[in-house]
Amino acid sequence: MNPASDKKRTASPDLAVLVGGLTLKNPVMTASGTFGYGQEYAPFVDLNRLGAVVVKGLSLETRAGNPPPRIMETPSGMLNAVGLQNIGVRDFIAHKLPFFRQYDTKVIANIFGETIDEYRRVAQIVGGTSGIHAIEVNISCPNVKRGGISFGATPEAAAEVTRGVRDETDLPLIIKLTPNVTDITQIALAVEEAGADALSLINTLTGMSVDIERRRPHLANITGGLSGPAIRPVALRMVWQVVRAVKLPVIGIGGITTASDALEFLITGAKAVQIGTASFIQPTAATDILDGIIDYMARHKIGKITDLIGSLITDTEVRC
Amino acid sequence: MAETESTRRGRIRENHQVAPDHFLMKVLLPSSFPSPAPGQFVMVRAADRMEPLLARPLSVCGFQRSHGHAVLELLYRVTGRGTALFSKMKADDEVILIGPLGKGFTVPSGLRRAIFVAGGVGVAPLIFLLRELCLAAESPEDMERIFYLGARSRELLIGLEHLNGTCDLKLCTDDGSEGYHGLVTQQLRDEIAKYDAKETMIFSCGPTPMVHALREVVEENPIPCQVSVEERMACGLGACLGCVVEVRGPGAGSEYVRVCREGPVFDLKEIWERKI
Repeated sequence: MNPASDKKRTASPDLAVLVGGLTLKNPVMTASGTFGYGQEYAPFVDLNRLGAVVVKGLSLETRAGNPPPRIMETPSGMLNAVGLQNIGVRDFIAHKLPFFRQYDTKVIANIFGETIDEYRRVAQIVGGTSGIHAIEVNISCPNVKRGGISFGATPEAAAEVTRGVRDETDLPLIIKLTPNVTDITQIALAVEEAGADALSLINTLTGMSVDIERRRPHLANITGGLSGPAIRPVALRMVWQVVRAVKLPVIGIGGITTASDALEFLITGAKAVQIGTASFIQPTAATDILDGIIDYMARHKIGKITDLIGSLITDTEVRC
Repeated sequence: MAETESTRRGRIRENHQVAPDHFLMKVLLPSSFPSPAPGQFVMVRAADRMEPLLARPLSVCGFQRSHGHAVLELLYRVTGRGTALFSKMKADDEVILIGPLGKGFTVPSGLRRAIFVAGGVGVAPLIFLLRELCLAAESPEDMERIFYLGARSRELLIGLEHLNGTCDLKLCTDDGSEGYHGLVTQQLRDEIAKYDAKETMIFSCGPTPMVHALREVVEENPIPCQVSVEERMACGLGACLGCVVEVRGPGAGSEYVRVCREGPVFDLKEIWERKI
């Protein structure tokens, strides 16, 4: 369609990656909750150029979300407490998923629940739907049966969710890890053992900000999830820890805004990356980053992206 | 980063203070920039700068297209880091714009009387609407235009150069330093009985307390009222779900809808009243 992007594609190196049974034409995807249901960005971005679109998190029923104010900008980042507002998995399949038929891109359904049973039921519905190529499970939600502690906060609960969803679907299963834990590698190992095909990390870091004039929190929910460039070094450190701890492929997420940011994650060992908050700032962020990766590979004469992934050179033993 | 059909780089033609904390920015754009409708907004950020991170939503105050270019006028108040940065930008500095975005005001055909109710910088989209209505009118008798403009004090009554001579202008100040001494909604309440509700529409924009007071006024005197709502936004495109407002839902309940897509202009009756 677009001659400029066609030319780029024919001149481009081999960008395909295999992530837990899912083949992507390139390693750049959009992160859940930052790209709507795809449609919102279609006027700006050629969705065909994306490795995958991860859609806004889906629950069994419609969720209204939190009262406003829901967002607040912070230094090099933003806090959000949207509260997982979404139209519910059935409405998504009936009204939003058909839009993707016109595009040659992978669709990954991000799902969540408040109980194991809810996760299972959403997974079952999604797993039986054609046009969905993989499931990403958000395990950062509070477990209502266990006093609201996040499923992703303990290896046991994280493994239980993973096993539950695994039982319901044969689709490639990606578990999205929360960084709000003491040792993310323990969670990663438990999830690997429980049958996940891939891991994506990190979800937002829990944060807070206060309006000192009014002495009130900026967010109605008091706390929210921090995203954006501010969290990138933390995310990269966790990706580094997890790629060495598990055999599963890892998808890097966290403040990736430029091609150089994405390359840091790929070199460190992430098989793919997700672009989140950057799409809010620049709607074409994901495809701009893809263009930058292609330029980098040409400059460094790298023919295959898989030759770049995990190519980090370290001279010292890591102690802690 | 590459420009797309809807992301545009503009050059500031002028950016000057019009009142304490209030500025008017005029942005020079390619003539291909889509014409905004009154009530629509644009997402604005300084070009080639990543801090502050997010663009800021500003409503359009005016738009002209002439030979080979377009000029967008943005009237804004400094409320935080983003707008403080805008206020320091100079002529020839560049901004990145996305827009025009959102659903603007709806002017019913055959409207005989337009009542504008503006508080502070909320005057910005209403100036644009008034200008467009003046341009569309074939004769001054076509439509009666009454403009209630309120501010804390005289120096904060902004946009007067656009309002004088184009409407029946009624000024109100909280401290009585100009015009009616009191809230803009109070003056409207005093006078509303004389307006026949038929073929009349209120267009409003202002701080949340003004919107609540306006609701009470029109509950007693039912004139249809459209209100432009403000909320913090990250994307402006409907993806972040950060900018929601609570409105009447299907059935008896309420639901959250996006100010950037379903708004920013809503029928006042639709906005959910949360008892505090």
